Amino acid sequence: MNDIIFSLLQVFGFVALIAVSVGIIELYLWSHFRYHDKNSIFFTSVFSFTFLALLFMNIGGLLSIKNFVIFMFWEIFLIYTSKKLIKGKNYLPYLLAAPAFLGLLALLLYPFLFQIYLSFHDLKLTTIMQWKQLGTIPFVGLKQYISVFTVPPLAEAGFFKLLFRTLLWTFVNIFFHVLGGFILALLLSELKIFRGIYRTLLVVPWAMPQVVAVLALRGEFHSQYGFINVMIKKAIESFPWLASIGVGPVNWLSDYPLLTCILINVWLGIPFMTVIILGGLQSISKSYYDAASIDGATYFQKLKYITLPLIKPVLMPAVTLGTVWTFNNINVIYLVTGQSGGTEQADILVSALYKAAFTYNRYSYSAAFAMVIFLILFMISISYSKMFEEKNTDKGAA
Amino acid sequence: MKRETAKQILIHLALISAAIICVYPLSRIFTVSIRPGDRVISTDLALIPDGATFLSYMKLLKETYFLRWLFNSLVITVTTSMIGVSLASTAAYAFSRFNFFGKKSAMIMLLSTQMIPAGMLILPLFLMIMKMNLMNTYLGMIIAYSVSSLPFSIWILKGYYDTIPKSLEEAAMVDGTGYVGAFWRVILPLSAPALSIAFLFNFTSAWNEYLVARVVLFSSKQYTWTLGLFELQGQFITQWGMFAAGSMLVTIPVLLVFLYSSKWLVSGLTLGSVKG
Repeated sequence: MNDIIFSLLQVFGFVALIAVSVGIIELYLWSHFRYHDKNSIFFTSVFSFTFLALLFMNIGGLLSIKNFVIFMFWEIFLIYTSKKLIKGKNYLPYLLAAPAFLGLLALLLYPFLFQIYLSFHDLKLTTIMQWKQLGTIPFVGLKQYISVFTVPPLAEAGFFKLLFRTLLWTFVNIFFHVLGGFILALLLSELKIFRGIYRTLLVVPWAMPQVVAVLALRGEFHSQYGFINVMIKKAIESFPWLASIGVGPVNWLSDYPLLTCILINVWLGIPFMTVIILGGLQSISKSYYDAASIDGATYFQKLKYITLPLIKPVLMPAVTLGTVWTFNNINVIYLVTGQSGGTEQADILVSALYKAAFTYNRYSYSAAFAMVIFLILFMISISYSKMFEEKNTDKGAA
Repeated sequence: MKRETAKQILIHLALISAAIICVYPLSRIFTVSIRPGDRVISTDLALIPDGATFLSYMKLLKETYFLRWLFNSLVITVTTSMIGVSLASTAAYAFSRFNFFGKKSAMIMLLSTQMIPAGMLILPLFLMIMKMNLMNTYLGMIIAYSVSSLPFSIWILKGYYDTIPKSLEEAAMVDGTGYVGAFWRVILPLSAPALSIAFLFNFTSAWNEYLVARVVLFSSKQYTWTLGLFELQGQFITQWGMFAAGSMLVTIPVLLVFLYSSKWLVSGLTLGSVKG
């Protein structure tokens, strides 16, 4: 019981600390913005905050000439910008946005920069104690980046094999997500009654906690007790000729781990696309279809010339998002194959990264690996946005 | 007319089979959770098994730390959501109502953070938490989670504030309050629905998180429920019944919350991209 109380006190203390520091930061920025033109008050505020900063650095054990110089440079920068920026304008938006952006800076940008720093150094199980105590790690230059391409992150597959598998995984998943989502959305939109009930039932895979859904489905792929193999066995019992053409129970998890993961992820991802596409379909005016019917268009012509172009603006962002999510999906693969002794045949880039970092403790190597993955993803999203721009200008011209 | 009816029947048949595929795993978990202990693993496919009992639920509550896991998850999740929503609510107001230098680039920065895969930052966050001696604590988890949903929350809230007419604030300001007063007394109460959606989004994403928890928490008393269930399912096959019972207990509330909020979530996801 004591440990709960201790942890709760820690949490309350942290929340209070955040509240107080947000207050101090707001006061600090406000005094600089508010009095940037009144020299006497302005310098009072600068001096008092410099005093406060020295005090806090001393308490936190951060007091050093280097930190003080950094703080002074920051003061000069802030004074200069508040003179330039605020002059006659409203400074309230900066005060409003500051806490959120400081949070993003500290917990998104800083880790990202730290990752870059790590990728040029050598942090692993043997140097981590040194880093924890002294804060220094040996610099190794580009060595980690070279070994990303030459040393496999896990026991088996190397970088290019993983990259190929990732692209295959992403493409197959997105293809079936969009296809399945499109078919289900079309069926739902043609429906006359009970649409709400079906919609609710169909989003269950998306709504379930992913951990539960994946673990439960993994159970269904169990070679002896899983639903799929039980059904195969029952089918063979009733139709013995199936066995003679090679149908039989399959060791899904050990023989076809990637296929299993793909099947699970397709099941998980279709509802999202269905909902998005259904929203797009419902926004298309009926009059287009009526006009096409009068001109004698067939069902598939209507689909091709009316439905597809008109849901594209809804579909494309969803596909981009889905591509990024699928490319980065560690959850499904890790939950299916992540136990000790699990297979590595289903790993894609990100799950290999996760395992290399936390199963094999190769920190700096993983940091470099992560940067390479980030660059690949960056290029993919840039080419996607290029594609959109071209499409959009086409539409504008027509 | 007959052709139309036949078509409707075919559509219903197709959708019924799709719905069965979607719901079936959940019903299987339910079945396993009420099986008697000696037959947890079986090839039987009936929905309600012979001799159904709630023994697995009792065992789960008595023999494991399940309630403790739920409590841990709850503390971590509620704290992160509160921090996330309060930071987002003011930042979104700045983006919705004011024009200021750097607004556009800040918005682009917010969107591009969505491109950084969350899995990529686990390693540096893990090392930072280790360096701060916060391994295996609630605090470490809260720090790791607190900003991950921030960009999305700002985005939804900005969209909602944009729909509130400016004249309301102006009226408040005529009555003698400043921007801050107008925000506090007019905008925040009016945007209660959007705030609760942002809260729910923060809540569910932290509630269902697994990967960060896996590396930060290592003693089974400190586990969140996701880690606990993984442990139950992974260790011994005899614990299938308890795993299923635990899954049912977590899934039902999450499912209800999701079905209630999904409409807004979807519009939040597509809002930015469609209106561009």
